[in-house]
Amino acid sequence: MSVDTTVETSSVFGVHVPQPRQHGAAGGVMRRLNFGTGLIGGVALATIAGWGTAILTPSSASNATFAPMEPTYVYLAVLLGWVIGFMLGIGAFVGPLRWVVGSDITHADAEYMGGKDLGKKRYWKYTTDHKVVGIQYLIVTMLLLGFAGLLAMLIRTELGMTWTELFSPSFYNSMIGTHGIAMILAMIVAVTGPLGNFIVPMMIGARDMAYPRLNALSLWLFVAAVPMLISSMFMGGIQDGWSVYQPLASQAPVGMLGYQLTIIVFAISTAIASVNLMTTILTMRAKGMTWSRTPIFVYGIFASSLMGLYAFPFFQYAQILGLSDRVFGTSFFNPLNGGSVWLYENLFWLLGHPEVYVIIIPSAAIALELMPVFLRKPLFSFNFAVAGIVGVVALSGFVWAHHMYMTGWAPAANYPFMLSTEMISIPVGFLVLVAIGTLWRGTTWTRLPLMAVYAVIFNKMIGGVTGIYLSDVPADQYFHGSMFVVAHFHFMLMGAGLFGGMAGIAFFFPKMTGRILDERIGSIGLWTSFIGFQVTFISMFVAGLQGQPRRVLDFDSQFNISNWISTIGAYVIGIGMLIFLAAIITSWRSGDVASSNPWGSKSLEWQTATPVPLENFPVLPVVTERPYNYGVPDPYEAELDAIDADLAEKVGNK
Amino acid sequence: MIVADVAGTIALVISYTYLWSLNVNGGWAPPGSSLTAEQTNSSIPSTPPVASFAAEGPFWAIFLVVVLATALMWFGYRSARRGNQAGLILGAGLSFLVTVAALVFQWIQISTFPFGAGDGSYASAVLLLCASNIFHLFLLIFIGMGIFMRARKGLIDKTNWYQAQAASYYMTWVSVAFILGAILTTFLVVSPNTDPAIFGTFTQQ
Amino acid sequence: MSTDTLNPQTPEEPEAPTNRPPSMRRVTLWLRRPYARRVLILTVVIGFLLLPLCWLILAGMNQTGAPASEIMKDIEQTVFVFTLVSIPITAFVFAVLLYSLLGWRRVTGDEPPMQDSPAIRTNTIGVILWTATSSILAMFLVVWGLIELAQITANSYGSISANEQPGQSKSEIINVTGQQWVWTFEYPQHDGLTSDVLYLPLDRPVYFNVTSKDVIHSFWAVELGVKIDANPGAITQTGVTANKLGTFNVRCAELCGMYHAYMQTEIRVLEQDAFDSWVRESGGKKTS
Repeated sequence: MSVDTTVETSSVFGVHVPQPRQHGAAGGVMRRLNFGTGLIGGVALATIAGWGTAILTPSSASNATFAPMEPTYVYLAVLLGWVIGFMLGIGAFVGPLRWVVGSDITHADAEYMGGKDLGKKRYWKYTTDHKVVGIQYLIVTMLLLGFAGLLAMLIRTELGMTWTELFSPSFYNSMIGTHGIAMILAMIVAVTGPLGNFIVPMMIGARDMAYPRLNALSLWLFVAAVPMLISSMFMGGIQDGWSVYQPLASQAPVGMLGYQLTIIVFAISTAIASVNLMTTILTMRAKGMTWSRTPIFVYGIFASSLMGLYAFPFFQYAQILGLSDRVFGTSFFNPLNGGSVWLYENLFWLLGHPEVYVIIIPSAAIALELMPVFLRKPLFSFNFAVAGIVGVVALSGFVWAHHMYMTGWAPAANYPFMLSTEMISIPVGFLVLVAIGTLWRGTTWTRLPLMAVYAVIFNKMIGGVTGIYLSDVPADQYFHGSMFVVAHFHFMLMGAGLFGGMAGIAFFFPKMTGRILDERIGSIGLWTSFIGFQVTFISMFVAGLQGQPRRVLDFDSQFNISNWISTIGAYVIGIGMLIFLAAIITSWRSGDVASSNPWGSKSLEWQTATPVPLENFPVLPVVTERPYNYGVPDPYEAELDAIDADLAEKVGNK
Repeated sequence: MIVADVAGTIALVISYTYLWSLNVNGGWAPPGSSLTAEQTNSSIPSTPPVASFAAEGPFWAIFLVVVLATALMWFGYRSARRGNQAGLILGAGLSFLVTVAALVFQWIQISTFPFGAGDGSYASAVLLLCASNIFHLFLLIFIGMGIFMRARKGLIDKTNWYQAQAASYYMTWVSVAFILGAILTTFLVVSPNTDPAIFGTFTQQ
Repeated sequence: MSTDTLNPQTPEEPEAPTNRPPSMRRVTLWLRRPYARRVLILTVVIGFLLLPLCWLILAGMNQTGAPASEIMKDIEQTVFVFTLVSIPITAFVFAVLLYSLLGWRRVTGDEPPMQDSPAIRTNTIGVILWTATSSILAMFLVVWGLIELAQITANSYGSISANEQPGQSKSEIINVTGQQWVWTFEYPQHDGLTSDVLYLPLDRPVYFNVTSKDVIHSFWAVELGVKIDANPGAITQTGVTANKLGTFNVRCAELCGMYHAYMQTEIRVLEQDAFDSWVRESGGKKTS
């Protein structure tokens, strides 16, 4: 820290802490900025940019296929204007600009941005407190999940009504694309966003994230990206699936720009969030929290951030190249001009496969984090859990081409990629072993979060086993591009990912909101969606086995029955999710007030007060024991020894 | 402690872009991605042959300019560590000016390319490389300006040098990115694939 | 206790428990604990309950007449073996899940249980057993997959190189072109005869040169087990020998725009004579 003369003191939990010399004046414009000014700025700049571009673009401008370019330019300008204007309006640029001119934000301002004494208003501002950001992430993610879930219901409705066509093919394609990418984005942040931001700093005994303003930046970039994605639905949509393979994407209407800019902005947001989480975890663990004393959830979030950090720029660059193809007429992916479609596929899947682990690892880590609490026993073989996560991370970068077995890109490469893909089942197996070992002989305290964990393990087994077929080239030759794949990744991303997220929300709900999640309604919701989930996707497996391709609007009558069942199941999921949502909303508004540690957990985040004070801990904690130190000494040891002795006697005397 | 340390936040913006661009360029260079695009380009007869390849000279010239800027920033940082505040201000300021010069050079280079964006994938690849350079240069200008201003105000000095250090590391990385671009455009111009499939017709194989 | 021989998860029951080294002895004792036995029995029961899946999956795949080629037969064999191998592991995990819910102690209520569970931090034998089993299984799957892949590659391309001149082999060469949203099949050996239904001769190797005119499609001859992407700007190759008469399906397996769902056509596998007469009737010249 600086050795400058102290001119100001600040009160932290009643203790006056000397502050370094301040270089800027307190107050200023940023105190008056909030979500509202962000909206105003975004809309205003978008309007100006769009209007200006419309005037400036010569009406004769057209692309190679003589389609007028004006809508492209205007839409691009509008979207860019929206992002910049929104970030400007919410105050994201204040800090960097003040950094450049050398008048830093004062301590008073930093506290103001931390949401001190702001009450509920802090949820609508560029707030840096990690807990506020966590809650904001939670809300945005739930909204996006709801939107994508609604699309899922529409898709299943269309597929279930085999006798008629509800939607036009282009709208249907646009729905599946938007559903896919919205779900992927929502699931990527579903755990690392709310729980990673809210829980991780507390779990490692820190006062906040390492870079609180980056934290706010990543959140609001994400918020700025979501409307762009939704707006693309109204601009002709993303008719190319979530993977928007080129060159199909270059045929798409201007809505594709919304997708591309969303991804570009979202990738920046993810990279910022990842760096922030990783730095926090690396440098801000409490005193005494060595790596062997760090909870497994922290490992999971770290791994997920690491993978997100290296994987996302590939995707981002793929989209930048696609954007420049579309807007400037370059030809990265246009085979007519020497581009390559395989280039896009490679870049895309270089993101694509690490990305599914970005989603799954945190939810697996949640499962492992919760089990010790509810089984009242330590995590079985902590080292293996870490080894499993490390193994997945290490292999995740080398498996991308298993999405490309059937593309003919490089048939000889199928052999090594099959090897690496099937090798990944070994570290994943470690995680299963840890789960089983932790369940072994445990007293189950049957509460809602634990039930969700059971659901996760069950779904993950099915998803994992079906993944073995897909990782194998000969079997994939049949399954690739069929409904089987769809069912498989729904089992992984939804069955393991989303249910893991539900487990996490249910578990951390008391800490995050200060209230207890209604156990009865929540359980009904959970089990309803679980049953609906099995019905939907197991019958989707059947459709895939019969040979139904994915992303089809219409199909042979032989697939009717499995699609009907699947649709019924989807409605059950929908109802279940609504019940779970109702449980969350009602409990949040008027649930029972939670004590600071309702689960009797031993990890750090439960040791502080609820609701959590601004800087989490009055005194930074010191960690003195391994995590999950339950059951020490073994309460059943004597009993078991007696059984063993008894058996030994019988066997030995035989 | 770091919670209130706003300057630290900004330093991480720098290290973030550092990592980020590292990945970006990792995705940029491997064979089979951008090289495939270049490879297939020069031998596709259905497109008018590219007028000429870009001269590699300017890439190296700009690279050298960026190296100069980086060296100046390092000089500034070293000075700061030694307590030579004037050296820091001088280094940062000159580095900033040289970066602006590099940006101007880059702009001149782009506007004098013998091809446009639509002229095949080689042109696309080169242009995007330049665009990425420009993006990097803008970031450098931002950072250089910040370091310069802060050095003048005494916010970076003998005891508080890590921002200058981070900026120096970042500029070193940007130099590497530039040299990658220069190497690509110098040594990987002509496609080794002389017998590509021709699009739109069948060949009897 | 009857041990499922398919089940690599179940340690062998020792015959004579005398003069064992201590670790084996511990396993013996462990196996005699009531809960261990119950979990293992549960594993076997669930395993046998899952066993029909091996055949049900194949039944699903065979609904429209598969397998119509050696390749499809290989694929089905692979799927069968993989199912068989996965069942023991799945059964064991499900058994533990079930037993943990029903068998071991349970508490309900709002307060955390007063008593903790046993602190099993690790178990060397269990960990080694699991790691060994999962590694061996993964190795087995990889080796099996590699062998099968080599086999279907051989079946696709045959012994002749795909670059061999047409007309010199007994094989049929077909140029497959995808465009939005139809398939076109061209028979270059028969004066470039084209068709929008894929006619194949029985028991003769066929080679496909697959490409696309616009976007990426994926040529999927469902019951033949053939799938390869049709990429614009590139030609991909595969092949098959149909060994079953009948009418099968071609579908597009890669989203290709608005009418992707309708981009399907028929395969008609005909006897050589019938194939020849179809060629004559459609105006093609018989050259092979």
